[in-house]
Amino acid sequence: MKFIILKNKLKDGINTIERISGKSLTLPILNNILISVEKNFLNLTSTDLEVGINWWALVKTEEEGKIAIPNKILSSFINYLPEKPVTVETDNLSLKIECENYQTIIKGTNPDDFPIIPQINKNESIFLKSALFCQSLSQVVDIAGYFSTKPEISGIYFLFQKDMLTMAATDSFRLGEKKIFLKPPIENLSKNYSFILPQKAAREIINIFGEKEGDITFYFSPNQVLFEASLPEQPSHPEVQLISRLIEGEYPSYQEIIPKKYETKVILPKNDLINQIKAASLFGGKINEVKIKIDPKKNQVDFSSQNPELGEHQSFLTGKIEGAACEISFNHKFLLDGLLNISPSQEKNSEVILELVNSEKPGVIKPQGDDSYLYLIMPIKT
Amino acid sequence: MEKEELWQAVLAQIQLNISSANFATWFKNTSILFCKEGQVLVSVPNSFAKEWLENKYGKTIFKILYNLDKEIKEVKYAIGKSEQKAQKASYCPPSEAGQLEFEEFQVNKETNLNPKYTFEKFIVGPFNELAHAASWAVSKKPGLVYNPLFIYGGVGLGKTHLLQSIGNAVLKDFPQKKVKYISAEKFIAGVVSSIKNQSMESFKIKYREIDLLILDDVQFLAGKEKTQEEFFHTFNALYEKNKQIVLSSDRPPKAIPALAERLRSRFEGGMTGDIGYPDYETRVAILKAKSQEKEISFSEDVLDYIANNIQKNIRELEGALNRLVAYQKINNQKPDIDLAKALLKNLFLSPNKTINPKKIIQAVVEFYDLKEKDIISSSRKKEIVKPRQVAMYLLREEMKSSYPFIGRRLGGKDHTTAIHACEKITREMEKNETLGDEISLIKQRIYSA
Repeated sequence: MKFIILKNKLKDGINTIERISGKSLTLPILNNILISVEKNFLNLTSTDLEVGINWWALVKTEEEGKIAIPNKILSSFINYLPEKPVTVETDNLSLKIECENYQTIIKGTNPDDFPIIPQINKNESIFLKSALFCQSLSQVVDIAGYFSTKPEISGIYFLFQKDMLTMAATDSFRLGEKKIFLKPPIENLSKNYSFILPQKAAREIINIFGEKEGDITFYFSPNQVLFEASLPEQPSHPEVQLISRLIEGEYPSYQEIIPKKYETKVILPKNDLINQIKAASLFGGKINEVKIKIDPKKNQVDFSSQNPELGEHQSFLTGKIEGAACEISFNHKFLLDGLLNISPSQEKNSEVILELVNSEKPGVIKPQGDDSYLYLIMPIKT
Repeated sequence: MEKEELWQAVLAQIQLNISSANFATWFKNTSILFCKEGQVLVSVPNSFAKEWLENKYGKTIFKILYNLDKEIKEVKYAIGKSEQKAQKASYCPPSEAGQLEFEEFQVNKETNLNPKYTFEKFIVGPFNELAHAASWAVSKKPGLVYNPLFIYGGVGLGKTHLLQSIGNAVLKDFPQKKVKYISAEKFIAGVVSSIKNQSMESFKIKYREIDLLILDDVQFLAGKEKTQEEFFHTFNALYEKNKQIVLSSDRPPKAIPALAERLRSRFEGGMTGDIGYPDYETRVAILKAKSQEKEISFSEDVLDYIANNIQKNIRELEGALNRLVAYQKINNQKPDIDLAKALLKNLFLSPNKTINPKKIIQAVVEFYDLKEKDIISSSRKKEIVKPRQVAMYLLREEMKSSYPFIGRRLGGKDHTTAIHACEKITREMEKNETLGDEISLIKQRIYSA
C-alpha cells in the first residue's frame, strides 16, 4: 500500500474515527484503526463492536493495500507533522510515514484480524440538514440515564414520521423531547421508523456530523442504523459512515406522562431565570433543592434555597402568571439542564413557559413560541 | 445429535484454532437455533459477530459441522435476541431523598405490575389479616383456592399493594404464567376503544389468554353496561378454565350500585376479604418499616405522634414520614418531637381533614349513586329515603348536630323526622350487618376524601 495525502486531510480523518477506538482490554485489535486504499480512495475504519465508523478521502494512490495501526500513537503523532503532503507506505506489517524532513515507522498488525464493519441494505432512507439534526440531538442527548435494569431508557428514542422527526431521552427523573418538523414532508415514506440509539453513538454523531455542511442520511434495519454524509466533491460517494447497534426493547410510552392540563402557568425571561436558579443552586444543599413559590396575586415567582452550613438565599422574578398559586421544589441541576438545552434564540430576551399541576406532578418547561422542544421534570417531594 | 450438543462440539474444536480473546469476543452468546434438512441456523448476538463468523470462520465452522454430521449442507447466521434480558433484576437504584420519578417507567408494560409492591413489604395486622392470608393463598395456588378473590376497603389502606403483590408473587413463582393487572377504568377505556376501532375480537382474545387477571377498583364498572357484559364473558371464560381472577373495590359487591346481578353474584362466589383501618400497633409498625426502608430511624415518640394523628390512611402516614425524612436530609439532624409537631402541624390541620355536613351528604349521595338534590327533595321513594336516613344518622353521630339542624339541612324536614331516622338506622344496624358495613364504608370515604 502506498498513497500521498495532505497532512490536514489525514488528520481530519483520524480525528473523525479515533474517539471510539482504543478502550478494549479483551480484544486488542480494537485499539487499532484500519487503513486501506482502494482505487482513488483512502478508507479509515474504527470500531468498538457497538459502533463502527468509516471515513473516506480521495488520495493519490500508488499501490492498493491495507494495514491495522495502533490508534493512540498514530493520532498523537500526526499532530506534529508539518502541513505538507504526507507519503504513507506499508512495509510488511509496519507503516512508513514520510513528510518533508520527518521519517517514521509505526508497527502495525495484520489487517485481516480487524473486525468487519457490518453493512446495511440501503432500502429506504431519510435525509436532513446535518447541522440542524446534530444541534437538535444535542438538546436531548445528555438527558438519557444509565440503568442496567432499564436498558431501554439508556438510549435516545427516535421516531421518524412523514412530517416530523421526534427525539426523546429520559433518566426517569426528567425527560426531554425535541421535534424537527420536516418541510416539505416525506410523502413516500413507507412506514414510521422508530429505534433506540445508544447514548454513546448519539454523542459520536454530534461530534462527527455537527460541523458538516451538507445532509446527513439515515438508513434503517431491524438491528442497526446507518448515518452517512457524502463527500462534498463526490456526492455519490460517502465521506463518513457511522453504523450503530440499536438498543433492544420498547421505549416507554412517554406521551402518557406529559400532563395534558396545567393549574399554574408562568412565563419568565429565560436568561434571568437561569441566572436566579444558578444563584440559588449555590445554597442547594445535599439534594440540590431549589424551592419555587408562585404567587399569581403579586405576579411574582420566588426562588429560595438553604443550606445549614452555607446560608440561605432568596430572590424573585416578576412574570406573567396564570392560574393558581403553587409551591414546588426541583433539583436545580435538572432545572438548569432543561433550560440550558433550549436552543439559543435570535431574540435577546427570549421567554420560557413553566407549567405546573401540583407539587408532586411533573412540571413542563418549553420555550415561548417554539413547539419543537419540551422538557419534563419531576419535583422533589417535601 | 442434539443441536446444543452439536454446537458444543463446534465450540470445543474451534477453541483450539483461535486465540482466547477472539473466542470470547465472537462466540459468546452464540447457539444453534435449528438444524434440519441439512441446514443449520446459528444465532449470534450482534451484527459484528455475524459478519465475522460468516466471513472469517464460516469455512472452519462448516467443516467441523460437516465432520460431525454429513447431512449438513449449509450454515446460516442470524442475529438473535441478546441474553441481557435474563439478568434483568428488579433492583432499582435508590434515588435521592424526595426526588420523584416518572413512576410509569417502573411498571412492567406487559403485566402493568409495579415491582415495588411485594408481600414482603406488606405489613399484616388484625385489620387486614384475612385479606392478606387469602391473597397469599391465591398467589401460591392461582386458580385453585379462592376464585374469584374479592378485596374491598377504603382509600389508602393497601388494596392495590395487596393486589399487585399477588401478581408479582405469581410471576416470581410461575414465570410462564400470563399476569395482567388493570384498573377498571383502563378496562372500560379498552372496551370503548375496541368498539370504536371494531377490534372487539382481538380484545376478547387478549383477555381470555390470561392466567391471572387482576382488576382494580371494580366499583367504576357501575353503570357501564357494555363493559360489564364484556367483563362478564371474560370472567366466565377465565373462570371455566380455572384461571385466577382477583378484584378490588372500595365497598363489598352488594353495595356497588348499578352492577348487573349476574356479575354481583359471581363476585361473591369466591372469597371476599375486607381491609379495615389499621390499629395503633400496626401504624407504628408500618412507620418503622418505612423509615427502615429509607434508612433513617426516628425516635419512638415521633413515630408515636404520627401514628396517633393519622389513623385512617396509610398513604398519609407515609407522606408525613417523607416530610420528616426530607427535613433530616436537608438539615442533617433528626427532628425531635417538638420539631416534628411543628413540621406536621399543617398536615394534620389541613382543611379537608375536618368534616362538615356538606362532606357527609356528598359522601352519602356518592355512595348510593344519587344526586344531592335527590336527597334533600321531599321524595318518599324507598331508594331515596334510606340514603337520607343514613345521612341524618351520620350527621348526628359524626357531627353531633342538633336534630332541628339536621332536618333543616336536608331540605326543611321536621326535627322529629331526623329523630326517627337516627333511631331507625341504629335499630336496623343491629339486625342488618350489610347496613353496618355500608355505613362504615361511607365513614371511610368521609374521612379519607
